[in-house]
Amino acid sequence: MSRIALRSATAEPQIAAARVGIGGPVGSGKTALVERLIPALLTRGIDIAVITNDLVTAEDAERIRRSGLIDPARVSAVEAGACPHTVIREDPTLNIEAADELERRFPGVELILLESGGDNLASTFSRDLTDFWMFVIDVAGGDDIPRKRGPGVIRADLLVINKIDLAPHVGVDLDRMHREALGVRGERPVLLTNCRRGEGIDAIVDLLEREVLFRT
Amino acid sequence: MLFDRLQALALLQLGDSAYPAGGFAFSWGLEGLAADGMLANRNELDRIIADQLARRWATMDRILLRRAFYATDSAAIAAIDRLAEAGTSSAEMRDGSRRAGRALLGVWVKLDGPLSVAYRQLVSSDARLGHLPVAQAVVSRDADFTLEATELMSGWTLVTGLVSAAVRLGIVGHVEAQRSQSAARGLLAELLAETPPPDAEPASFTPFIDIAIARGPLRHVRMFTT
Repeated sequence: MSRIALRSATAEPQIAAARVGIGGPVGSGKTALVERLIPALLTRGIDIAVITNDLVTAEDAERIRRSGLIDPARVSAVEAGACPHTVIREDPTLNIEAADELERRFPGVELILLESGGDNLASTFSRDLTDFWMFVIDVAGGDDIPRKRGPGVIRADLLVINKIDLAPHVGVDLDRMHREALGVRGERPVLLTNCRRGEGIDAIVDLLEREVLFRT
Repeated sequence: MLFDRLQALALLQLGDSAYPAGGFAFSWGLEGLAADGMLANRNELDRIIADQLARRWATMDRILLRRAFYATDSAAIAAIDRLAEAGTSSAEMRDGSRRAGRALLGVWVKLDGPLSVAYRQLVSSDARLGHLPVAQAVVSRDADFTLEATELMSGWTLVTGLVSAAVRLGIVGHVEAQRSQSAARGLLAELLAETPPPDAEPASFTPFIDIAIARGPLRHVRMFTT
């Protein structure tokens, strides 16, 4: 079903917000990435909202609500029933409802970031839920992660390698890790970030503007 | 033929615990009862499932579901939905029931179920609407279910949801879970053998479960919506 809907017979057609998934293993920096993306997207005039799928607490949602970066009402938490895979893939209905509800409450929202709970390398997003999704890994998780070719690494629209500043401290050859990631992904995008310092964030926002919002 | 094969297959599809309507995220009080030390083994689980079935589903959800199944139009269905809202004292339970119902309805809107599409319009404009038993009746009408099949699906999805949550909470293993499901199957069949009187009013009495759900927001660790 098209997500272009008429609000009323006389209203202008309203285009549904783009939905962007952010998945990845526990501790890879998904929430830190969301915290960096929020101001970067807002600075470019993009109207956003956020959904978090916390596994055992509402900590990520509360962290973003209290960050002062975004109106707390624009942040929704969806419990995953101990099934982080299921809530974004086999049965994403609760996330879809949460996104629909955000669109109803905030007409004009253009982009909804949907942060998955921490998961493993087999995690992927349903195409019924997201228009674009990225998978976040970090150098401290091991430079062999791209070589393991998990579905998250391979199938994501964008692979983000985070915590690049830690590479020399954990014995990771970042150039090789980047090269291998590009290799297993058939040269589809792989971007490097240091979310603590905001490095690499603009490149992600450029890609979202170009590939998701079709602004350029 | 003892049964309608197509209807039986449709029942297996909609009554499957993997049916994509968000059911996996609801423990309907089990998580809270376990956290409070009131649920730790299969015997306690079976007692709670029996309470859920006999003292809530059969006397509350089933009555609402039957009324919504026969309601003439969306406005009449909405009146029953508001009764569900008014008759559920716990805010957490009301919220959980609406979230589960709206998720189910949302699937059938995407499947172009005509009554689901029409009723969703009303639900979108009224925050009080969308309770699970009402949504189950609506989608069952779109699925061309009989009332009997609708009741079976509603009762059975409650059972599978509770048992599945208990497994994920580590209360029972997969074999014990099957024993619990078998026991619940017998009770559900007994309950369904009795037809509620036409003037039956929806009512429930599951105080421990209601309190466990109501205390949800106070818990730091929380994996389920209810």
